[in-house]
Amino acid sequence: MNYVIRRILMLLLTMLIVSFLTFLAFELVSGDVAQTKLGTEGTPEQVAALRHELGLDQPFLLRYGQWLGGFFTGDLGVSYYNPQPMWELIGPKLGVTLILAAISFLLITLISIPLGLLSYRLAGSPLDGLRTAFNQLCMAVPPFFIGILFSWFFGITLKLFIPEGFPSSIRANPGEAMTQLFFAAVCLSIPRIAMTVRMMRSTVIGEMQKAYVRTAISRGNDRRGVLLRHVLKNSLTGTVTFLAQTLAELIGGSIVVEQVFGIPGLGRFLVAEIRALDYPVVQTIVVILAFWVVLAGTVADLINQRIDPRLRLGGAK
Amino acid sequence: MNEHTKQQNSDLVLEVRHVNGGYRKGGLLGRGAFKQILFDVDFQVRHGEIVGLVGESGSGKSTLAKLILGLLRPESGQIVHHTPRPQIIFQDPYSSLNPAYDVEWILEEPLKVYGKYDRAERKRRVRDILARVELDERFLSCRPDELSGGQRQRVSIAAALIRRPRFLIADEPVSALDVTVQAQVLRLMRNLREELDLSYLFISHDLNVVYQICDRVLVLKGGVIVEQGEVEEVFRAPQHEYTKRLLAAAE
Repeated sequence: MNYVIRRILMLLLTMLIVSFLTFLAFELVSGDVAQTKLGTEGTPEQVAALRHELGLDQPFLLRYGQWLGGFFTGDLGVSYYNPQPMWELIGPKLGVTLILAAISFLLITLISIPLGLLSYRLAGSPLDGLRTAFNQLCMAVPPFFIGILFSWFFGITLKLFIPEGFPSSIRANPGEAMTQLFFAAVCLSIPRIAMTVRMMRSTVIGEMQKAYVRTAISRGNDRRGVLLRHVLKNSLTGTVTFLAQTLAELIGGSIVVEQVFGIPGLGRFLVAEIRALDYPVVQTIVVILAFWVVLAGTVADLINQRIDPRLRLGGAK
Repeated sequence: MNEHTKQQNSDLVLEVRHVNGGYRKGGLLGRGAFKQILFDVDFQVRHGEIVGLVGESGSGKSTLAKLILGLLRPESGQIVHHTPRPQIIFQDPYSSLNPAYDVEWILEEPLKVYGKYDRAERKRRVRDILARVELDERFLSCRPDELSGGQRQRVSIAAALIRRPRFLIADEPVSALDVTVQAQVLRLMRNLREELDLSYLFISHDLNVVYQICDRVLVLKGGVIVEQGEVEEVFRAPQHEYTKRLLAAAE
Protein backbone atom coordinates (compact mmCIF):
# COMPACT_ATOMS: atom_id res chain seq x y z
CA MET A 1 0.00 0.00 0.00
CA ASN A 2 2.85 2.28 0.92
CA TYR A 3 4.24 1.72 -2.54
CA VAL A 4 0.93 2.57 -4.18
CA ILE A 5 0.75 5.87 -2.31
CA ARG A 6 4.34 6.72 -3.25
CA ARG A 7 3.66 5.89 -6.84
CA ILE A 8 0.53 8.08 -6.90
CA LEU A 9 2.42 11.00 -5.34
CA MET A 10 5.04 10.55 -8.05
CA LEU A 11 2.29 10.59 -10.64
CA LEU A 12 0.91 13.87 -9.30
CA LEU A 13 4.37 15.42 -9.27
CA THR A 14 4.98 14.30 -12.86
CA MET A 15 1.64 15.75 -13.90
CA LEU A 16 2.52 19.03 -12.22
CA ILE A 17 5.83 19.21 -14.10
CA VAL A 18 4.22 18.19 -17.39
CA SER A 19 1.49 20.80 -17.03
CA PHE A 20 4.05 23.48 -16.19
CA LEU A 21 6.21 22.64 -19.19
CA THR A 22 3.16 22.64 -21.44
CA PHE A 23 2.05 26.01 -20.13
CA LEU A 24 5.56 27.38 -20.58
CA ALA A 25 5.84 25.99 -24.10
CA PHE A 26 2.55 27.56 -25.14
CA GLU A 27 3.60 30.83 -23.53
CA LEU A 28 6.64 30.80 -25.79
CA VAL A 29 4.97 29.76 -29.07
CA SER A 30 1.73 31.69 -28.83
CA GLY A 31 3.38 35.12 -28.87
CA ASP A 32 1.14 38.12 -28.28
CA VAL A 33 -2.27 36.54 -28.50
CA ALA A 34 -4.17 39.80 -28.23
CA GLN A 35 -2.24 41.25 -31.13
CA THR A 36 -2.73 38.12 -33.20
CA LYS A 37 -6.43 38.07 -32.47
CA LEU A 38 -7.03 41.67 -33.44
CA GLY A 39 -4.69 41.54 -36.41
CA THR A 40 -2.97 44.60 -37.86
CA GLU A 41 -6.20 46.57 -37.52
CA GLY A 42 -6.10 46.67 -33.73
CA THR A 43 -5.06 49.92 -32.05
CA PRO A 44 -2.62 49.65 -29.14
CA GLU A 45 -5.49 50.59 -26.81
CA GLN A 46 -7.65 47.76 -28.10
CA VAL A 47 -4.74 45.35 -27.76
CA ALA A 48 -4.08 46.47 -24.21
CA ALA A 49 -7.77 46.16 -23.36
CA LEU A 50 -7.95 42.65 -24.80
CA ARG A 51 -4.77 41.64 -23.00
CA HIS A 52 -6.37 42.78 -19.78
CA GLU A 53 -9.60 41.00 -20.62
CA LEU A 54 -7.74 37.73 -21.35
CA GLY A 55 -5.70 38.17 -18.20
CA LEU A 56 -2.46 38.29 -20.17
CA ASP A 57 -1.17 41.31 -18.24
CA GLN A 58 -0.86 39.17 -15.12
CA PRO A 59 2.53 37.68 -14.15
CA PHE A 60 3.38 34.31 -15.74
CA LEU A 61 3.36 32.22 -12.56
CA LEU A 62 0.06 33.66 -11.41
CA ARG A 63 -1.54 32.81 -14.73
CA TYR A 64 -0.11 29.30 -14.51
CA GLY A 65 -1.57 28.94 -11.02
CA GLN A 66 -4.97 30.12 -12.16
CA TRP A 67 -4.91 27.83 -15.17
CA LEU A 68 -3.90 24.85 -13.06
CA GLY A 69 -6.59 25.68 -10.51
CA GLY A 70 -9.05 25.84 -13.38
CA PHE A 71 -8.29 22.22 -14.17
CA PHE A 72 -9.69 21.17 -10.82
CA THR A 73 -12.72 23.45 -10.87
CA GLY A 74 -13.61 22.49 -14.45
CA ASP A 75 -12.82 25.96 -15.77
CA LEU A 76 -10.40 25.13 -18.56
CA GLY A 77 -10.28 28.56 -20.13
CA VAL A 78 -12.02 29.73 -23.26
CA SER A 79 -11.40 29.00 -26.91
CA TYR A 80 -10.47 32.03 -29.01
CA TYR A 81 -13.24 31.28 -31.43
CA ASN A 82 -15.89 29.40 -29.54
CA PRO A 83 -17.49 30.94 -26.46
CA GLN A 84 -18.77 27.57 -25.19
CA PRO A 85 -17.14 26.32 -21.99
CA MET A 86 -14.03 24.36 -22.96
CA TRP A 87 -15.27 21.20 -21.29
CA GLU A 88 -18.42 21.14 -23.45
CA LEU A 89 -16.20 21.55 -26.47
CA ILE A 90 -13.69 18.84 -25.65
CA GLY A 91 -15.75 16.43 -23.56
CA PRO A 92 -17.79 14.69 -26.29
CA LYS A 93 -14.71 14.34 -28.53
CA LEU A 94 -12.64 12.98 -25.69
CA GLY A 95 -15.45 10.51 -25.00
CA VAL A 96 -15.45 9.24 -28.58
CA THR A 97 -11.67 8.86 -28.61
CA LEU A 98 -11.67 7.09 -25.24
CA ILE A 99 -14.21 4.58 -26.53
CA LEU A 100 -12.08 4.04 -29.63
CA ALA A 101 -8.97 3.57 -27.49
CA ALA A 102 -10.78 1.26 -25.06
CA ILE A 103 -12.05 -1.03 -27.83
CA SER A 104 -8.59 -1.08 -29.45
CA PHE A 105 -6.90 -1.82 -26.16
CA LEU A 106 -9.31 -4.63 -25.38
CA LEU A 107 -8.72 -6.14 -28.82
CA ILE A 108 -4.96 -5.85 -28.47
CA THR A 109 -4.85 -7.38 -25.00
CA LEU A 110 -7.34 -10.17 -25.62
CA ILE A 111 -5.80 -11.19 -28.93
CA SER A 112 -2.07 -10.66 -28.54
CA ILE A 113 -1.45 -12.50 -25.25
CA PRO A 114 -2.93 -15.84 -26.40
CA LEU A 115 -1.47 -15.31 -29.88
CA GLY A 116 1.95 -14.57 -28.39
CA LEU A 117 1.87 -17.86 -26.48
CA LEU A 118 0.59 -19.71 -29.57
CA SER A 119 3.22 -18.21 -31.82
CA TYR A 120 5.90 -19.46 -29.47
CA ARG A 121 4.62 -22.96 -30.13
CA LEU A 122 5.23 -22.47 -33.84
CA ALA A 123 8.91 -21.71 -33.25
CA GLY A 124 11.05 -24.02 -35.32
CA SER A 125 8.19 -25.44 -37.36
CA PRO A 126 7.97 -24.84 -41.13
CA LEU A 127 4.93 -22.63 -40.49
CA ASP A 128 7.11 -20.27 -38.50
CA GLY A 129 8.46 -18.52 -41.60
CA LEU A 130 4.93 -17.86 -42.77
CA ARG A 131 4.03 -16.52 -39.35
CA THR A 132 7.04 -14.18 -39.35
CA ALA A 133 6.12 -12.86 -42.81
CA PHE A 134 2.50 -12.29 -41.80
CA ASN A 135 3.59 -10.62 -38.59
CA GLN A 136 5.91 -8.28 -40.49
CA LEU A 137 3.15 -7.44 -42.94
CA CYS A 138 0.73 -6.58 -40.15
CA MET A 139 3.33 -4.39 -38.49
CA ALA A 140 4.22 -2.60 -41.70
CA VAL A 141 0.73 -1.75 -42.97
CA PRO A 142 -0.24 1.67 -41.64
CA PRO A 143 -3.64 1.87 -39.92
CA PHE A 144 -4.94 4.54 -42.31
CA PHE A 145 -4.40 2.18 -45.24
CA ILE A 146 -6.24 -0.63 -43.48
CA GLY A 147 -8.87 2.02 -42.71
CA ILE A 148 -9.29 2.84 -46.40
CA LEU A 149 -9.58 -0.86 -47.25
CA PHE A 150 -12.12 -1.37 -44.46
CA SER A 151 -14.19 1.63 -45.54
CA TRP A 152 -14.31 0.25 -49.04
CA PHE A 153 -14.96 -3.37 -48.12
CA PHE A 154 -17.07 -3.24 -44.94
CA GLY A 155 -18.54 0.19 -45.66
CA ILE A 156 -19.21 0.40 -49.39
CA THR A 157 -19.31 -3.25 -50.43
CA LEU A 158 -20.88 -4.92 -47.40
CA LYS A 159 -22.71 -1.76 -46.29
CA LEU A 160 -22.05 -2.44 -42.61
CA PHE A 161 -21.56 1.27 -42.02
CA ILE A 162 -21.67 4.55 -43.92
CA PRO A 163 -18.14 5.84 -44.62
CA GLU A 164 -17.77 9.43 -43.42
CA GLY A 165 -21.26 9.10 -42.02
CA PHE A 166 -20.60 9.10 -38.29
CA PRO A 167 -23.74 10.20 -36.49
CA SER A 168 -23.79 13.68 -34.96
CA SER A 169 -23.44 12.09 -31.55
CA ILE A 170 -23.16 8.54 -30.25
CA ARG A 171 -26.60 8.81 -28.64
CA ALA A 172 -28.19 9.82 -31.96
CA ASN A 173 -27.42 6.42 -33.47
CA PRO A 174 -25.47 4.14 -31.12
CA GLY A 175 -25.47 1.16 -33.50
CA GLU A 176 -23.91 3.04 -36.39
CA ALA A 177 -21.47 4.85 -34.12
CA MET A 178 -20.27 1.69 -32.40
CA THR A 179 -19.90 -0.17 -35.72
CA GLN A 180 -17.68 2.60 -37.04
CA LEU A 181 -15.71 2.76 -33.82
CA PHE A 182 -15.26 -0.99 -33.88
CA PHE A 183 -13.81 -1.06 -37.39
CA ALA A 184 -11.63 1.96 -36.63
CA ALA A 185 -10.40 0.15 -33.52
CA VAL A 186 -9.54 -2.95 -35.55
CA CYS A 187 -7.44 -0.79 -37.93
CA LEU A 188 -5.72 0.82 -35.02
CA SER A 189 -5.08 -2.54 -33.36
CA ILE A 190 -3.67 -4.67 -36.15
CA PRO A 191 -0.10 -3.30 -36.23
CA ARG A 192 0.00 -3.13 -32.45
CA ILE A 193 -1.25 -6.68 -32.04
CA ALA A 194 1.54 -7.76 -34.39
CA MET A 195 4.12 -5.85 -32.35
CA THR A 196 2.85 -7.21 -29.04
CA VAL A 197 2.80 -10.77 -30.36
CA ARG A 198 6.36 -10.42 -31.57
CA MET A 199 7.47 -8.99 -28.24
CA MET A 200 5.59 -11.62 -26.26
CA ARG A 201 7.02 -14.40 -28.41
CA SER A 202 10.63 -13.35 -27.90
CA THR A 203 10.01 -12.94 -24.16
CA VAL A 204 8.49 -16.42 -23.94
CA ILE A 205 11.37 -17.93 -25.93
CA GLY A 206 13.80 -16.26 -23.52
CA GLU A 207 11.89 -17.52 -20.48
CA MET A 208 11.71 -21.06 -21.87
CA GLN A 209 15.53 -21.23 -21.75
CA LYS A 210 15.58 -20.60 -18.03
CA ALA A 211 16.37 -23.19 -15.41
CA TYR A 212 13.01 -22.97 -13.63
CA VAL A 213 11.39 -24.29 -16.81
CA ARG A 214 13.62 -27.36 -16.62
CA THR A 215 12.54 -27.78 -13.00
CA ALA A 216 8.89 -27.47 -13.98
CA ILE A 217 9.27 -30.13 -16.68
CA SER A 218 11.02 -32.45 -14.26
CA ARG A 219 8.10 -32.06 -11.82
CA GLY A 220 5.78 -33.47 -14.46
CA ASN A 221 4.52 -30.40 -16.33
CA ASP A 222 3.78 -30.74 -20.02
CA ARG A 223 4.47 -27.89 -22.47
CA ARG A 224 1.07 -26.37 -21.89
CA GLY A 225 1.47 -26.45 -18.13
CA VAL A 226 4.93 -24.91 -18.39
CA LEU A 227 3.63 -22.12 -20.61
CA LEU A 228 0.46 -21.30 -18.70
CA ARG A 229 1.51 -21.96 -15.13
CA HIS A 230 5.18 -21.00 -15.13
CA VAL A 231 6.21 -18.89 -18.10
CA LEU A 232 3.12 -16.74 -18.59
CA LYS A 233 3.45 -14.87 -15.33
CA ASN A 234 7.16 -14.29 -15.86
CA SER A 235 6.51 -13.00 -19.38
CA LEU A 236 3.70 -10.75 -18.27
CA THR A 237 5.62 -7.88 -16.67
CA GLY A 238 7.34 -6.94 -19.93
CA THR A 239 4.09 -7.32 -21.79
CA VAL A 240 2.19 -5.12 -19.35
CA THR A 241 4.77 -2.35 -19.79
CA PHE A 242 4.54 -2.74 -23.55
CA LEU A 243 0.74 -2.67 -23.45
CA ALA A 244 0.82 0.47 -21.32
CA GLN A 245 3.01 2.16 -23.91
CA THR A 246 0.55 1.02 -26.53
CA LEU A 247 -2.34 2.43 -24.52
CA ALA A 248 -0.49 5.74 -24.36
CA GLU A 249 0.16 5.73 -28.10
CA LEU A 250 -3.37 4.74 -29.02
CA ILE A 251 -4.70 8.27 -28.55
CA GLY A 252 -2.04 9.71 -30.83
CA GLY A 253 -2.58 6.90 -33.30
CA SER A 254 -6.29 7.53 -33.31
CA ILE A 255 -5.76 10.94 -34.94
CA VAL A 256 -5.12 9.36 -38.34
CA VAL A 257 -7.79 6.71 -38.10
CA GLU A 258 -10.37 9.28 -37.01
CA GLN A 259 -9.57 11.21 -40.18
CA VAL A 260 -10.06 8.18 -42.40
CA PHE A 261 -13.36 7.17 -40.86
CA GLY A 262 -14.59 10.70 -40.28
CA ILE A 263 -14.96 10.07 -36.56
CA PRO A 264 -15.38 13.29 -34.56
CA GLY A 265 -12.84 12.36 -31.91
CA LEU A 266 -10.19 14.25 -30.04
CA GLY A 267 -7.53 13.61 -32.69
CA ARG A 268 -9.56 15.09 -35.49
CA PHE A 269 -10.54 18.02 -33.30
CA LEU A 270 -6.92 18.61 -32.29
CA VAL A 271 -5.75 18.81 -35.91
CA ALA A 272 -8.48 21.35 -36.69
CA GLU A 273 -7.65 23.44 -33.62
CA ILE A 274 -3.92 23.43 -34.40
CA ARG A 275 -4.71 24.68 -37.90
CA ALA A 276 -6.82 27.45 -36.38
CA LEU A 277 -4.06 28.35 -33.88
CA ASP A 278 -6.62 28.06 -31.08
CA TYR A 279 -3.97 27.80 -28.36
CA PRO A 280 -6.14 27.49 -25.24
CA VAL A 281 -7.90 24.47 -26.72
CA VAL A 282 -4.72 22.90 -28.09
CA GLN A 283 -3.01 23.45 -24.77
CA THR A 284 -5.79 21.74 -22.86
CA ILE A 285 -5.80 18.77 -25.22
CA VAL A 286 -2.02 18.45 -25.03
CA VAL A 287 -2.17 18.37 -21.24
CA ILE A 288 -4.96 15.78 -21.32
CA LEU A 289 -2.87 13.62 -23.69
CA ALA A 290 0.21 14.02 -21.51
CA PHE A 291 -1.77 13.07 -18.40
CA TRP A 292 -3.06 10.06 -20.29
CA VAL A 293 0.48 8.89 -21.09
CA VAL A 294 1.75 9.40 -17.54
CA LEU A 295 -1.30 7.68 -16.09
CA ALA A 296 -0.85 4.65 -18.38
CA GLY A 297 2.75 4.32 -17.21
CA THR A 298 1.73 4.48 -13.56
CA VAL A 299 -1.00 1.89 -13.98
CA ALA A 300 1.52 -0.42 -15.69
CA ASP A 301 3.97 0.00 -12.81
CA LEU A 302 1.28 -0.75 -10.25
CA ILE A 303 0.13 -3.87 -12.11
CA ASN A 304 3.71 -5.09 -12.57
CA GLN A 305 4.40 -4.54 -8.92
CA ARG A 306 1.40 -6.75 -8.11
CA ILE A 307 2.73 -9.44 -10.45
CA ASP A 308 6.31 -9.20 -9.26
CA PRO A 309 7.12 -7.33 -6.02
CA ARG A 310 10.82 -7.28 -6.93
CA LEU A 311 10.01 -4.55 -9.42
CA ARG A 312 9.10 -1.94 -6.81
CA LEU A 313 10.56 1.28 -8.13
CA GLY A 314 13.38 2.33 -5.86
CA GLY A 315 12.40 -0.37 -3.37
CA ALA A 316 14.98 -1.92 -1.08
CA LYS A 317 14.79 -5.50 -2.38
CA MET B 1 9.73 -64.67 -12.49
CA ASN B 2 10.93 -66.96 -9.75
CA GLU B 3 11.03 -66.19 -6.05
CA HIS B 4 14.70 -65.42 -6.07
CA THR B 5 14.63 -62.62 -8.70
CA LYS B 6 11.55 -61.06 -7.13
CA GLN B 7 13.39 -60.81 -3.85
CA GLN B 8 16.36 -59.33 -5.65
CA ASN B 9 14.23 -56.76 -7.57
CA SER B 10 12.38 -55.47 -4.53
CA ASP B 11 15.77 -54.47 -3.21
CA LEU B 12 16.50 -52.36 -6.29
CA VAL B 13 15.18 -48.89 -7.03
CA LEU B 14 16.85 -48.39 -10.41
CA GLU B 15 18.43 -50.56 -13.05
CA VAL B 16 20.32 -49.04 -15.94
CA ARG B 17 21.03 -51.84 -18.38
CA HIS B 18 23.62 -51.37 -21.11
CA VAL B 19 22.38 -47.92 -22.06
CA ASN B 20 23.68 -46.00 -25.05
CA GLY B 21 22.40 -42.45 -25.22
CA GLY B 22 22.95 -39.07 -26.78
CA TYR B 23 21.33 -36.35 -28.84
CA ARG B 24 20.07 -35.99 -32.35
CA LYS B 25 20.75 -32.50 -33.54
CA GLY B 26 18.98 -30.72 -36.39
CA GLY B 27 17.61 -32.42 -39.47
CA LEU B 28 13.97 -32.80 -40.40
CA LEU B 29 11.83 -34.88 -38.03
CA GLY B 30 14.71 -35.22 -35.59
CA ARG B 31 16.57 -37.53 -37.96
CA GLY B 32 19.79 -35.52 -37.84
CA ALA B 33 23.25 -36.74 -36.96
CA PHE B 34 23.44 -38.66 -33.70
CA LYS B 35 25.97 -37.54 -31.15
CA GLN B 36 26.56 -40.35 -28.72
CA ILE B 37 27.32 -39.26 -25.18
CA LEU B 38 26.94 -42.44 -23.13
CA PHE B 39 28.42 -45.83 -23.99
CA ASP B 40 27.08 -49.07 -22.54
CA VAL B 41 26.31 -47.59 -19.14
CA ASP B 42 25.25 -50.31 -16.72
CA PHE B 43 24.59 -50.03 -12.98
CA GLN B 44 21.98 -50.38 -10.24
CA VAL B 45 20.86 -48.30 -7.33
CA ARG B 46 19.72 -50.35 -4.36
CA HIS B 47 17.13 -49.46 -1.77
CA GLY B 48 18.36 -46.87 0.72
CA GLU B 49 21.62 -46.31 -1.08
CA ILE B 50 23.32 -43.04 -1.97
CA VAL B 51 25.21 -43.63 -5.17
CA GLY B 52 27.67 -40.98 -6.26
CA LEU B 53 28.23 -40.22 -9.92
CA VAL B 54 31.52 -38.40 -10.47
CA GLY B 55 33.31 -37.21 -13.56
CA GLU B 56 34.47 -33.99 -15.12
CA SER B 57 32.11 -31.72 -17.04
CA GLY B 58 31.21 -33.18 -20.40
CA SER B 59 31.55 -36.74 -19.16
CA GLY B 60 27.81 -37.33 -19.59
CA LYS B 61 26.52 -36.95 -16.03
CA SER B 62 23.62 -34.68 -16.91
CA THR B 63 22.71 -36.73 -19.97
CA LEU B 64 22.46 -39.76 -17.73
CA ALA B 65 20.21 -37.81 -15.34
CA LYS B 66 17.94 -36.84 -18.24
CA LEU B 67 17.73 -40.45 -19.41
CA ILE B 68 16.80 -41.65 -15.94
CA LEU B 69 14.14 -38.93 -15.62
CA GLY B 70 12.73 -39.87 -19.00
CA LEU B 71 13.45 -36.47 -20.51
CA LEU B 72 15.58 -38.28 -23.09
CA ARG B 73 15.14 -41.71 -24.67
CA PRO B 74 18.02 -44.16 -24.73
CA GLU B 75 19.21 -45.22 -28.18
CA SER B 76 19.57 -48.75 -26.89
CA GLY B 77 19.50 -50.50 -23.55
CA GLN B 78 16.91 -50.27 -20.80
CA ILE B 79 16.18 -48.11 -17.81
CA VAL B 80 13.99 -49.87 -15.27
CA HIS B 81 12.42 -48.07 -12.34
CA HIS B 82 11.27 -50.04 -9.32
CA THR B 83 9.80 -46.93 -7.68
CA PRO B 84 7.33 -44.30 -8.84
CA ARG B 85 8.66 -41.42 -10.92
CA PRO B 86 12.00 -40.20 -9.52
CA GLN B 87 12.45 -36.51 -8.79
CA ILE B 88 15.44 -34.25 -9.28
CA ILE B 89 17.17 -31.52 -7.31
CA PHE B 90 19.10 -29.12 -9.50
CA GLN B 91 22.40 -27.46 -8.84
CA ASP B 92 21.54 -23.82 -9.01
CA PRO B 93 18.88 -22.84 -6.47
CA TYR B 94 19.08 -19.26 -7.79
CA SER B 95 17.62 -20.02 -11.18
CA SER B 96 15.86 -23.33 -10.79
CA LEU B 97 12.99 -21.89 -8.74
CA ASN B 98 10.34 -19.86 -10.55
CA PRO B 99 11.02 -16.25 -9.50
CA ALA B 100 7.43 -15.10 -10.02
CA TYR B 101 5.84 -17.17 -7.26
CA ASP B 102 6.13 -17.64 -3.52
CA VAL B 103 7.40 -20.75 -1.75
CA GLU B 104 3.91 -22.05 -1.00
CA TRP B 105 2.99 -21.96 -4.71
CA ILE B 106 6.27 -23.57 -5.71
CA LEU B 107 5.78 -26.44 -3.27
CA GLU B 108 2.12 -26.93 -4.11
CA GLU B 109 2.54 -26.88 -7.86
CA PRO B 110 3.92 -30.42 -8.37
CA LEU B 111 0.80 -31.68 -6.57
CA LYS B 112 -1.49 -29.61 -8.77
CA VAL B 113 0.09 -31.08 -11.90
CA TYR B 114 -1.33 -34.45 -10.97
CA GLY B 115 -4.63 -33.02 -9.87
CA LYS B 116 -5.58 -35.80 -7.50
CA TYR B 117 -4.94 -33.93 -4.27
CA ASP B 118 -7.55 -31.55 -2.87
CA ARG B 119 -6.66 -28.16 -1.51
CA ALA B 120 -6.59 -29.17 2.15
CA GLU B 121 -4.38 -32.17 1.39
CA ARG B 122 -2.01 -30.02 -0.66
CA LYS B 123 -1.71 -27.41 2.12
CA ARG B 124 -1.15 -30.15 4.68
CA ARG B 125 1.61 -31.74 2.62
CA VAL B 126 3.29 -28.38 1.99
CA ARG B 127 3.46 -27.68 5.72
CA ASP B 128 4.65 -31.18 6.44
CA ILE B 129 7.46 -31.09 3.90
CA LEU B 130 8.51 -27.60 4.94
CA ALA B 131 9.04 -28.87 8.48
CA ARG B 132 11.00 -31.83 7.13
CA VAL B 133 13.47 -29.54 5.35
CA GLU B 134 13.69 -27.49 8.55
CA LEU B 135 12.20 -24.27 7.24
CA ASP B 136 9.85 -22.07 9.22
CA GLU B 137 6.30 -21.56 7.95
CA ARG B 138 6.91 -17.86 7.59
CA PHE B 139 8.92 -18.66 4.46
CA LEU B 140 5.75 -19.81 2.71
CA SER B 141 4.94 -16.28 1.58
CA CYS B 142 8.52 -15.49 0.48
CA ARG B 143 9.64 -15.46 -3.10
CA PRO B 144 12.92 -17.17 -4.02
CA ASP B 145 14.83 -13.89 -4.24
CA GLU B 146 14.06 -13.22 -0.58
CA LEU B 147 15.82 -16.42 0.51
CA SER B 148 19.47 -17.31 1.01
CA GLY B 149 21.16 -19.96 -1.14
CA GLY B 150 20.81 -22.64 1.54
CA GLN B 151 17.14 -21.79 2.12
CA ARG B 152 16.48 -21.96 -1.59
CA GLN B 153 18.10 -25.34 -1.88
CA ARG B 154 15.93 -26.55 1.00
CA VAL B 155 12.91 -25.33 -0.94
CA SER B 156 14.20 -27.19 -4.02
CA ILE B 157 14.56 -30.36 -1.99
CA ALA B 158 11.08 -29.88 -0.52
CA ALA B 159 9.62 -29.39 -4.00
CA ALA B 160 11.31 -32.57 -5.18
CA LEU B 161 9.96 -34.49 -2.17
CA ILE B 162 6.40 -33.15 -2.13
CA ARG B 163 5.03 -35.99 -4.24
CA ARG B 164 6.77 -38.48 -1.94
CA PRO B 165 9.13 -40.10 -4.40
CA ARG B 166 11.36 -42.90 -3.16
CA PHE B 167 14.27 -42.08 -5.44
CA LEU B 168 15.93 -38.72 -5.97
CA ILE B 169 18.49 -37.56 -8.47
CA ALA B 170 20.57 -34.77 -7.00
CA ASP B 171 22.47 -32.95 -9.75
CA GLU B 172 25.33 -31.09 -8.04
CA PRO B 173 22.94 -30.12 -5.22
CA VAL B 174 25.49 -28.31 -3.08
CA SER B 175 28.01 -27.02 -5.63
CA ALA B 176 26.52 -23.53 -5.65
CA LEU B 177 26.64 -23.24 -1.85
CA ASP B 178 29.46 -22.22 0.46
CA VAL B 179 31.09 -24.84 2.63
CA THR B 180 29.18 -24.42 5.91
CA VAL B 181 25.85 -24.37 4.10
CA GLN B 182 27.00 -27.38 2.07
CA ALA B 183 27.51 -29.35 5.27
CA GLN B 184 24.03 -28.41 6.54
CA VAL B 185 22.33 -29.41 3.32
CA LEU B 186 24.24 -32.71 3.17
CA ARG B 187 23.25 -33.48 6.75
CA LEU B 188 19.63 -32.69 5.85
CA MET B 189 19.78 -35.01 2.83
CA ARG B 190 21.18 -37.81 4.96
CA ASN B 191 18.46 -37.32 7.59
CA LEU B 192 15.76 -37.28 4.94
CA ARG B 193 17.03 -40.57 3.59
CA GLU B 194 16.44 -42.15 6.97
CA GLU B 195 13.13 -40.46 7.71
CA LEU B 196 11.54 -40.87 4.29
CA ASP B 197 13.28 -44.06 3.23
CA LEU B 198 14.91 -42.52 0.16
CA SER B 199 17.64 -43.51 -2.26
CA TYR B 200 19.76 -41.01 -4.15
CA LEU B 201 21.81 -40.78 -7.26
CA PHE B 202 24.17 -38.03 -6.24
CA ILE B 203 25.87 -36.31 -9.16
CA SER B 204 28.92 -34.27 -8.27
CA HIS B 205 32.34 -33.24 -9.47
CA ASP B 206 33.39 -32.63 -5.86
CA LEU B 207 34.99 -35.80 -4.50
CA ASN B 208 35.04 -34.50 -0.93
CA VAL B 209 31.28 -34.10 -0.98
CA VAL B 210 30.89 -37.54 -2.53
CA TYR B 211 33.06 -39.05 0.19
CA GLN B 212 30.95 -37.37 2.88
CA ILE B 213 27.58 -38.58 1.74
CA CYS B 214 27.79 -41.52 -0.68
CA ASP B 215 27.80 -45.26 -0.05
CA ARG B 216 28.91 -46.26 -3.51
CA VAL B 217 30.42 -44.33 -6.39
CA LEU B 218 30.39 -44.52 -10.18
CA VAL B 219 33.22 -42.86 -12.10
CA LEU B 220 32.20 -41.63 -15.52
CA LYS B 221 34.73 -40.66 -18.16
CA GLY B 222 33.85 -39.83 -21.75
CA GLY B 223 30.45 -41.49 -21.34
CA VAL B 224 31.88 -44.75 -20.02
CA ILE B 225 31.75 -45.97 -16.41
CA VAL B 226 35.41 -46.69 -15.83
CA GLU B 227 35.11 -47.71 -12.20
CA GLN B 228 32.46 -48.42 -9.58
CA GLY B 229 32.46 -49.68 -6.01
CA GLU B 230 32.10 -48.84 -2.34
CA VAL B 231 33.20 -45.27 -1.69
CA GLU B 232 35.78 -46.26 0.94
CA GLU B 233 37.30 -48.84 -1.35
CA VAL B 234 37.43 -46.70 -4.45
CA PHE B 235 38.92 -43.80 -2.56
CA ARG B 236 41.48 -45.98 -0.74
CA ALA B 237 42.55 -48.12 -3.68
CA PRO B 238 41.43 -46.67 -7.01
CA GLN B 239 41.89 -49.13 -9.87
CA HIS B 240 41.48 -46.95 -12.92
CA GLU B 241 44.11 -44.41 -13.93
CA TYR B 242 41.42 -41.72 -14.33
CA THR B 243 40.09 -42.24 -10.80
CA LYS B 244 43.60 -41.92 -9.43
CA ARG B 245 44.03 -38.63 -11.25
CA LEU B 246 40.69 -37.33 -9.99
CA LEU B 247 41.61 -38.23 -6.44
CA ALA B 248 45.04 -36.68 -6.74
CA ALA B 249 43.48 -33.48 -8.04
CA ALA B 250 41.05 -33.39 -5.10
CA GLU B 251 43.78 -33.63 -2.44
